[in-house]
Amino acid sequence: MRGRVASAPSIGSMSTSAGATPERGSIRDGKLALAVIFLPPALLLFTLFVVLPIGEAAWYSGFNWNGFGRPTHWVGFDNYRLVLETRAFWLALRNNGLIVLVSLSIQLPLALALALMLADRFRGAVALRMLFFLPYVLAEIATGLIFSFVYDGDYGLVASIWHWFGAEAPHLLASTQTAMLAVLIVIVWKYFGFHMMLFIAALQGMDKNLVEAARIDGATRPQVLRYVVIPLLYPTIRLSVFFAVVGSLQLFDLVMPLTRGGPADSSNTMVSFLYNNGISRMRVGYGSAIGVILFMICVTFAVTYKRWFMRDE
Amino acid sequence: MGWLKRLLLAAAGSLFVIGTAAADTTVKWLHIADNPAEVKIWQEVARAYEAAHPGVKIEMQFLENEAYKAKLPTILQSKDRPHIIYSWSGGVLKAQVEAGVLEDITDQVKGYSDTIAPAALAAFTQNGRVYGLPYQVSQVGFLYNTDLMAKANVDPAKIKTWDDLLAAVKALKAAGVTPLVVGGADKWPLHFYWTHLAVRAGGKAAFEAALRGENGGFEGETFQKAGELFKQLVDLQPFQNGFLGFKNQQAVGYFGDGKAAMTLAISVVYNQQRVQAADKVGLAPDKIGWFDFPAVPGGKGEPTDTLGGIIGWLVTKGAPPEATDFLKFFISKDAQTKLAAAGLLIPVVKGAEAGLSNPFMKHIADNLAKSKYHQNFYDQSLGPSVGRVVNDVTAEIAGGSMTPTQAAAAIQQAWKQGN
Amino acid sequence: MSEVETVASPVDLTRLYKALFLAIVATFVVVPLLATVLGGFKSLGELRVNPFGLPQRWQWSNYADILLSWRYWELLRNSLVISTLTVTLTLIVASMAAFAFAHVKFFGSSMLLGYLTLGLLFPAATAVLPLFIKVRDLGLLDTYFGVALPQVAFALAMSILLLRRFFKDLPHELLEAALIDGCSYFNFFRYVTLPLSRPILATVGTIAFVNSWNAYLLPLVMLNSDSLYPWPLGIMVYQGEYSSDWHLILAFITLTILPTIIVFIIAQKHIIAGLTAGAVKG
Repeated sequence: MRGRVASAPSIGSMSTSAGATPERGSIRDGKLALAVIFLPPALLLFTLFVVLPIGEAAWYSGFNWNGFGRPTHWVGFDNYRLVLETRAFWLALRNNGLIVLVSLSIQLPLALALALMLADRFRGAVALRMLFFLPYVLAEIATGLIFSFVYDGDYGLVASIWHWFGAEAPHLLASTQTAMLAVLIVIVWKYFGFHMMLFIAALQGMDKNLVEAARIDGATRPQVLRYVVIPLLYPTIRLSVFFAVVGSLQLFDLVMPLTRGGPADSSNTMVSFLYNNGISRMRVGYGSAIGVILFMICVTFAVTYKRWFMRDE
Repeated sequence: MGWLKRLLLAAAGSLFVIGTAAADTTVKWLHIADNPAEVKIWQEVARAYEAAHPGVKIEMQFLENEAYKAKLPTILQSKDRPHIIYSWSGGVLKAQVEAGVLEDITDQVKGYSDTIAPAALAAFTQNGRVYGLPYQVSQVGFLYNTDLMAKANVDPAKIKTWDDLLAAVKALKAAGVTPLVVGGADKWPLHFYWTHLAVRAGGKAAFEAALRGENGGFEGETFQKAGELFKQLVDLQPFQNGFLGFKNQQAVGYFGDGKAAMTLAISVVYNQQRVQAADKVGLAPDKIGWFDFPAVPGGKGEPTDTLGGIIGWLVTKGAPPEATDFLKFFISKDAQTKLAAAGLLIPVVKGAEAGLSNPFMKHIADNLAKSKYHQNFYDQSLGPSVGRVVNDVTAEIAGGSMTPTQAAAAIQQAWKQGN
Repeated sequence: MSEVETVASPVDLTRLYKALFLAIVATFVVVPLLATVLGGFKSLGELRVNPFGLPQRWQWSNYADILLSWRYWELLRNSLVISTLTVTLTLIVASMAAFAFAHVKFFGSSMLLGYLTLGLLFPAATAVLPLFIKVRDLGLLDTYFGVALPQVAFALAMSILLLRRFFKDLPHELLEAALIDGCSYFNFFRYVTLPLSRPILATVGTIAFVNSWNAYLLPLVMLNSDSLYPWPLGIMVYQGEYSSDWHLILAFITLTILPTIIVFIIAQKHIIAGLTAGAVKG
């Protein structure tokens, strides 16, 4: 593995090109000193705060522990069994799935359509692009709060539409049927701009000649779109999907101000479920089990996706 | 760069000097009081203490009720934790004692503790050691809006049984009045219904038996019945529109705005509704009434049984002795009489009840005095983890996503698991 | 992609539809934000009856009270401290490691790199409980570092990969020439690599800063005293206190997202490029 190029560019190799650098003792020492000084800080931080915690999560998940002192009450796989038996867990999983589904079926096409419209330079295009990207830059927590106002049953923007007709407004965030739907709309609002910019970048970097060639051959605009542009965008689409999935798995800040995962766990995501059950109640073992399960999902997804992604390159 | 370095050093040095010179003791006090009138009196007491004890500073920090419950476990883990924290006693207190995060102040309160009503003090004692001091007692019952009740021709004095209540709800709905308001998003306001039904249905005996695991524990008959009766109410759709999205403060404000006829709440809502109402005035004292939770058919509980809180303050481990000292100063006849006179609480210090001028508060105090079984809020008395399960399941019954049987089973399972 | 052709009516209709569509989307984006900003200028009563429009009476006091309060500036200060700490440490630590990976081939370097790639696989949220315990055990709860260090750690994987690729793409002759001239690796790093890497450093810095500035979960778990709260925690505490006073809450939200919006308007090209390019290259 040393010195050989792996499937992804990964290894740094010392140049052995023509005019090779004389391996003087001082340079060798310089290299060693470099490695010894430059690497440890990163490795230490990474190991301490990323690798160890996930290992500890696996360890803690075998205990029933409230966080004080040291874990003493070993329960084996009981926590996992409990998690899988909890209705709220499956609801959270379902919700994460729903988020991915909405991203694919609504957000992506919307982003693509907008990208196609705004990739040109016409008056106002740049301003619109900026505007659509703005929600992405705002903190999720602020977005959640803003929309908890929008959806408020008494003071909200949505409610005022009902008030116009003299009717009493529905409390969208208070109903198990509509809470998740409301959350999904906010997610689209927040992220479509980011995906749009990804597509715009790709479109602007695309080889115009291919499009021109198709045009000359008599293809109509829809045909050009379908047979030339979109296939060329596959890598970006895949990237977009990747971000949508990873984003959904981490979603927490948005849900908290809106619904806190409720009502009755109907709008929980995996992380909010972890927070409500693990941290708020200091059930470290149970919460760690959720974390480990979430970790497995993330890793499985990342690995299989990379494989699929790489295969087409 | 030389002069910059020197400047920085000088600045750092001066900070160090300032730091060591003002070696004050700061007592950090975390609370959940959202009533400015109450907080004002507290601040007066704090300033009075500071004046009497130079070198001590009392620092108050606020967290809203639900946020407080959610954050407390992590707060207690920090070495920077507050010295005085709010407590509803019960199983949560027990868990905190077992975790070793509280300071044993038995010795510091010797002698002083005789001034406190014994039942209240007992709530803050574990295995004979005292870990905090009680502050007030409260009762859960129905507060009602006299005008709205009159509008529907419902006489609150006649609501003595659960069926009476259901009939009243129906009458109110027919008259176009929202019968009940509740803060469903926080869940614990909903659990009052279920737990009070359990108190009426089985009384003290049933609760203690369940704790011992007898009669099927929390899956037993009493608790099934509580769930079923609660479901009867829920099926009438008595709550305000969107109740599952209302936080408790909003619900209290809603009542204060005069939008609902009744609310099952802690007696302090009497004052809270004034603070939370949109116009900051709320319902006038003569527009609010109170009736005790009705009896249930075949219930074994005594009509004098009460559900409510014994609320107080705990001292965390490692707190400076000034913290306990301040607490004793704060929970004294003077301060408590003042607070009682302002109608803000029902005191725990002997003799302070004399300050109760408000008939409403007096009535509650009488109830509590008469009660032989005062059940602490389930979500506190059963401990942190089980308590939250109780809240969860009652909210689910209210939302229609769980049956009473499932709810009882869930609580029993959580109880067996322990905290 | 294609020029907008100026032909007769059929295309005009398409342009109309496009314009309409864009207008709808723009409205969808703008209305919540505008309502939030304007809502802060209204009284609670007016907010209820007139949530969309301009205020009839401009209540400057809502905004003024917040701007004049110490609390608001404390929140921004805390956010600035934490984010700056995070960015600085990330850039220093990551660029050092990336440089070592780019130029030094040693036993196990590829394994180490693969090790670091692990960090790309899962978010901080999955390990937040053990992370909390670890930070507590290190005595870093309720400190700026307790938030910054985990953030740096989780940013390292992506940062190191991005930086490494850039470093490797730099002309190798520069390094060779420098070494022949007796320049040490360290000096080369400091005087050649870093200055040449401004674009990628800016990208990495931007991503790290934005993520830290907007972070909620990690500070929520690690910080307990409100004098240390960054603004995302601050607005939630504010909302807890003033639950139904929407006009105050909206004013507060507006003021706390204002820095983000201002910076975005000033540096938008930069920010957009940073956030998307970073995403693509990663």
